[in-house]
Amino acid sequence: MDETSEVLRLTKINKSFPGVKALTDIHFSLQKGEVHALVGENGAGKSTLMKILSGAYTKDSGNIEFEGRNVEITSPKFSEELGIATIYQELNLIRRITIAENVFLGRYPKKGGLIQWNKMNEDAKALFESFGIQIDVKQQLRSISLAQQQIVEIIKAVSMNAKVVIMDEPTSSLTTRETEILFRIIRELKARGTAVIFITHRLDEIYRICDRMTIMRDGCYVGTRQVKDITKGEMIAMMIGRELTQQYPVRNVELGDIVLEARNLDDGGYRVKNVSFSVRAGEVLGFAGLVGAGRTETMRLIFGADKKAGGQILIDGKEVRINHPRNAIAHKIGFVTENRKEEGLFLRSTVRVNTVMAALGKIMRLRWFFDFEKEKEIAKDYVKKLNTVTPSVNQKVMFLSGGNQQKVVLAKWLFSDSRIVIFDEPTRGIDVGAKREIYEIINQLAAEGKVILVVSSEMEEIMGISDRILVMHEGEISGELKKEEFSQNLITEFAVGGK
Amino acid sequence: MEKKGISSQIFKIANNMGAWLIILLVGIVLTAATDTFLTYDNIINVLRQSCVVAITAMGASFVVLGGEIDLSTGMAATFAGCNTALLMTKMNMPIFPAILISVFVGCICGTAAGLIVTYLKIPSFMGTLGIQYVIQGMILITTNSMPITGLPEQFLALGRGYVLGWLPIPIIIMAIFFLVGTIALRYTVFGRSVMAVGENAEAAKLSGLNVNLTRIAMFTVCGFCCAFAGIVQASRMSSGQPGSGTDLSMQALAAVYIGGTFKGSMLNTLAGALAWSFVNNGLNLLGVNAYWQKVALGIIIIFAVALDILRARLSTAKH
Ligand SMILES: Nc1ncnc2c1ncn2[C@@H]1O[C@H](COP(=O)(O)OP(=O)(O)OP(=O)(O)O)[C@@H](O)[C@H]1O
Ligand SMILES: [Mg+2]
Repeated sequence: MDETSEVLRLTKINKSFPGVKALTDIHFSLQKGEVHALVGENGAGKSTLMKILSGAYTKDSGNIEFEGRNVEITSPKFSEELGIATIYQELNLIRRITIAENVFLGRYPKKGGLIQWNKMNEDAKALFESFGIQIDVKQQLRSISLAQQQIVEIIKAVSMNAKVVIMDEPTSSLTTRETEILFRIIRELKARGTAVIFITHRLDEIYRICDRMTIMRDGCYVGTRQVKDITKGEMIAMMIGRELTQQYPVRNVELGDIVLEARNLDDGGYRVKNVSFSVRAGEVLGFAGLVGAGRTETMRLIFGADKKAGGQILIDGKEVRINHPRNAIAHKIGFVTENRKEEGLFLRSTVRVNTVMAALGKIMRLRWFFDFEKEKEIAKDYVKKLNTVTPSVNQKVMFLSGGNQQKVVLAKWLFSDSRIVIFDEPTRGIDVGAKREIYEIINQLAAEGKVILVVSSEMEEIMGISDRILVMHEGEISGELKKEEFSQNLITEFAVGGK
Repeated sequence: MEKKGISSQIFKIANNMGAWLIILLVGIVLTAATDTFLTYDNIINVLRQSCVVAITAMGASFVVLGGEIDLSTGMAATFAGCNTALLMTKMNMPIFPAILISVFVGCICGTAAGLIVTYLKIPSFMGTLGIQYVIQGMILITTNSMPITGLPEQFLALGRGYVLGWLPIPIIIMAIFFLVGTIALRYTVFGRSVMAVGENAEAAKLSGLNVNLTRIAMFTVCGFCCAFAGIVQASRMSSGQPGSGTDLSMQALAAVYIGGTFKGSMLNTLAGALAWSFVNNGLNLLGVNAYWQKVALGIIIIFAVALDILRARLSTAKH
């Protein structure tokens, strides 16, 4: 590739937050028409670097060259005008208007001051078709699934004829189908000469779609490689600064008695039908299946977050009544939810407040009043135990990176003395190093005789950490596999309801 | 670098001060511009004027922190004031039981709002708007829209009396309320639950907090505070005034937002209420026409909240 095809070059970018040096002398260069992966551990500074490009943050020092010119990106608007489109994780769409209107929001085609609805709908249709997507653009946005809405958001961003498209973990909330659509869009963009920056923690996606990759670690630049020349092992070593010999740590736990038993759980025929299983002390029971198979819903029934229509839950052989998460917590069940931001965390609150939230009774003085000293000690303790990276326990959780946020959620359930811990997609959006740490924590919990339920859509993960796997299909358990029977084919077969 | 450190330090202090900063600024300007401002009489007067709004605003703070809004606070206060007056005059009830019953009725009004918002799932904006009209109707029915006068002398002490000859009783009541309110918000499960529910109700539920009970309780507490404020008000005005509460709800909400109570301290609400009174007082002392005062106050609300949003943005994004 020659010099002229470079669209973007960053040199010596620095950025600090109070107490955190987020970026140190970062280099980055982007060619026309390439898909460039940006990888690194949680908190490595990937999002921060992208926010500097999109104008959300301003850099402390360094140089940005766009199409050969030096530029100072001072605002999101300026960035957009340059031709940098950013796809944010949160949706910026309006639910009560049509897909077409959303795409052309603020730039409706007009004639004599009036909006030309037909032209807009036709243009929108043509736009989606140019990326090979068939969709009725006249339907309201709220009538399509969240994953589809994400696709609309992406189409909207790229429709502005951007020269550079930034995607920060676009796949973390997409289903397999939408991920395929996204990849198709990316290939089309590439063919048009648009450059794409693609952030992900899923390494196999890099091999599927990316040309080059830049690796960051602790806010520093580690290197840039051609994807086809690098092995997964090398990639991981560059990311975390050491070899990771085994992604899934081995566990040697003698299983105990049956602790938790579910009998004929049912939510009235919606998403969970007649689910029964039992788990022993020290056992890690995996739940596999396609997105929407009813695994999360099953866990929510066990935890009392949704109403049961039928079925029983037994702990230590005795039936227990769980009608509210409060009851579940009293029976020492913990629930690390799938969406940590929406369901697990109080983002604007501090690490310490989040840590004690499920066991407020344990930090009381004189029965009625909080003991703030104790709260602080406890939070510090868990930060140390779980290796959470945070400047202090008084940091607001919203400023922590994904992996560290997940550790705060974990701390909450460890502090509430959970004996039965439910993990729903425990490593979503989490880097390889932190994944391994989470697996180690799971192992340690199992070794202490606790019961672990894991829901995961990542085939490798579920096979790597479970002792036994239940596969769900349309709300029912469609198959059970013992450790020696684990195989990707078998799980897939059960997951689609085969056999 | 050093300079940046100092300015960010100043910024941090200013940020934490919230509406106290407004009070300080108003104080400095008025001390310089008039010689009537910084006198014992004037300051005590302003504090005394703030009591009713401040106590109402404290109630409203719990609701706002809990992620809801209450438009019926002013009416609830008026209702309690009129009820107390009615019980004492028309039914010849002694002071203490009259107050007790009125406060109890105030709590019930709050609880009713809480139940409606929690179980009927009506947005609190509409739910409490409805409640406010219901209460207004009740006030008109019970009082026939006539002020109730002839209140016992001892009752008037509540709003007009002094302790030790110089410390007004309403100020003491206000201080007690804020002391208890601050402790309740910071140190108890109730306060923590209110903040948690306000920030993320789903996460609060999944952390085992009792979300419904918290919602109902915060409206009840709000009703309690309003009732008390209304009783102090009646005492201050030596009568139950059926028409006195229309503006109070809005002033209370303004105090909560101007104070920046979202930072999690009840004292911010106090600052919000005081700032309001001090600005009012300042405009009076400067001889601004009463109609223009309204305009000025409106602008100040907008300005104060805009400033707060700007402050919040500065302290999260840029540094
Ligand atoms: N607004 C902020 N205020 C304070 N610290 C921040 C802020 N934004 C980011 N940080 C810190 O800067 C560092 C880099 O964060 P960044 O979000 O860029 O990481 P990341 O590489 O995107 O991680 P992840 O893979 O988890 O998304 C982290 O230590 C984070 O805590
Ligand atoms: Mg990120």
